[in-house]
Amino acid sequence: MVDLLLVIQQIFNGILFGGQLALVAVGLTLIWGVTRILNFAHGAMFMMGGYAGFLTFELTGNALLALPGAVLVVFVLGMVTEFGVVRRLRDRDNAEFAAIIGTFGLAVVLENVVRASALGSTRRTLPTIVPGVWEVGPFFFVAEQVYLFIVALAALGVLFAVIKYTRLGMAMRAVAQDQNTAKLMGVRSDRIYAITFGISAALAGLAGALLAPIFNIYPSVGWQPFLLAFIVVIIGGLGSVRGTLIAALLIGVLRSVSLTFTSSQQTSMLLFLAMIVILIVKPTGIGGVIDG
Amino acid sequence: MSLAESLRLTLSRTQTRLSEDLLGPKGVIFALGVLFALGAPFFLRQFHLSVTLQILIFILAVSSWNLLAGYFGMFSFTHAALYGVGAYATVICAAEFGIPPVLALVIGGLLAGLFSLPITIPSLRLSGSYLAMVTLAFAEIIHLAVITFRDVTNGPTGYTGFAPMFGGDRIVFYYFVLVLVLALLLVQYALLVSRFGLIARAIREAEDAAQMLGNDTYRHKLVGFFIGSSLAGVAGGLQAYNILIISPPMLELNQMIQFMAMSIIGGLGTFSGAIVGVIAVVGVAELLRGVIEQRLLIWGLLLMLVILFFPSGLAGSATQRDILKQQFDGFTDRFSDTEERDK
Repeated sequence: MVDLLLVIQQIFNGILFGGQLALVAVGLTLIWGVTRILNFAHGAMFMMGGYAGFLTFELTGNALLALPGAVLVVFVLGMVTEFGVVRRLRDRDNAEFAAIIGTFGLAVVLENVVRASALGSTRRTLPTIVPGVWEVGPFFFVAEQVYLFIVALAALGVLFAVIKYTRLGMAMRAVAQDQNTAKLMGVRSDRIYAITFGISAALAGLAGALLAPIFNIYPSVGWQPFLLAFIVVIIGGLGSVRGTLIAALLIGVLRSVSLTFTSSQQTSMLLFLAMIVILIVKPTGIGGVIDG
Repeated sequence: MSLAESLRLTLSRTQTRLSEDLLGPKGVIFALGVLFALGAPFFLRQFHLSVTLQILIFILAVSSWNLLAGYFGMFSFTHAALYGVGAYATVICAAEFGIPPVLALVIGGLLAGLFSLPITIPSLRLSGSYLAMVTLAFAEIIHLAVITFRDVTNGPTGYTGFAPMFGGDRIVFYYFVLVLVLALLLVQYALLVSRFGLIARAIREAEDAAQMLGNDTYRHKLVGFFIGSSLAGVAGGLQAYNILIISPPMLELNQMIQFMAMSIIGGLGTFSGAIVGVIAVVGVAELLRGVIEQRLLIWGLLLMLVILFFPSGLAGSATQRDILKQQFDGFTDRFSDTEERDK
């Protein structure tokens, strides 16, 4: 029954991984929910967060400051993206595609600007804040993973609270439901769009800086989490924050468990297949079941 | 309408439209371009000839994507993956089964078309971003499959060491590619000026309306996607014989970005857009070779600049859309006239 223990261990790992995944995915779904735009630069925001965290650490020598540094920089970057790129495309006839292409272009530009800069393609890393491994019964927990999970949950908790209880959150929900009516009610939708983009990017940036000690940072680091987040967002139901959270944990567990049996490529293939099936059969995903 | 009759109509329409278009300024430039390409082996150095060859192959790949995205409005992210499928299929057919390469190219194209069916049959009823997402996922599956099934594809190292076409004679190969690409461009042209192309544009503008007028839009999209993907497969096969190695990066999202960038920079939904885009992008990249090493940076910047400031691309104009709109407005005017008369 050693296998069973291994599977349970992998389920725990999967939950921890799912928390980190949720951090990236929630931002993606938030933008779609509020602005109806697929942000293909989301992975680039993740990458920029990692680098912002790294540079903050280099300048201050304090690994704890890396997180707020990353959040702040990428929040501004997200707002600038909305203002400089997405806003100009939103009123086009083919806004959906124009935005996909515009943000895609931005992702390519950001990645290659970093590559061309002094940072280059060298892999960078941040020091671990919480070293060590905890043993609970027969199971092992990497302290760092647990700490990441807790920070991720805290960030998501703050996000939920903001959406649910603040005026800003109410305005975001109003714009998501009906942009024109919200405008008539005095909501400055342009500002809401920009802030939503900023928040979403900041979440990706936070994830980037958080995961830097584990995964390293390099210019193309964002694509993998972006594609995974993409699957999560679809399975969770585009635009549903709660659905995304559940899907992230689910996929985190699925991925960890299946990694003990098959290769990571086959696992990813299965996940993409699931994504296609969901899109065709039930495009509202998990969110459509629990919200509706 | 019988098949023979519609074929005859298509041909006569192609003939009239082609003679009109070729006499226009764009047609003259195109003819000059063809003349240049025909004479290229006589005055270009080897390096520049290979750049020209690359441009020809990309024109086929990009114009076939333009057929899907620009005319039907189906933003396929699977195109580069199917281009790769065509490449693998062509080379494996020729190298493992001893099929003559020219025939293998046809098989590669057909296989790429067939590979599009598992995703198009269930998903063409989805629209807009959803189709983009489904095809993106499918492209990733193909990419991962190529890496995973090593027995067939040689995995990440790729497939190499196969015999070149025409016993390695690059000049013959060049002319073969030139003729094939021109012929397939003509096929696309005929498709686009015929009823098929009109329905494609109608689907892009208003699918429901096109359907209400009695067109089987689902079938048209299916056929359109199949043709576009097959052409991509042929382009992939040619590329495989051009660079004589195939590896998974050929199917990556990166390759897809390159095709999209070329198409959009040239002008989506115009026939000349694909050609102008490829020449502009590859040309700029080759001109800047050695000056700036970050080729993708330039492409990303171009992509952003064009989408932000030149929505219809370098070669594009709003004319086509305007003509359609005019006709539509005329139609509604007449319709409202009758309505008033009826009162």
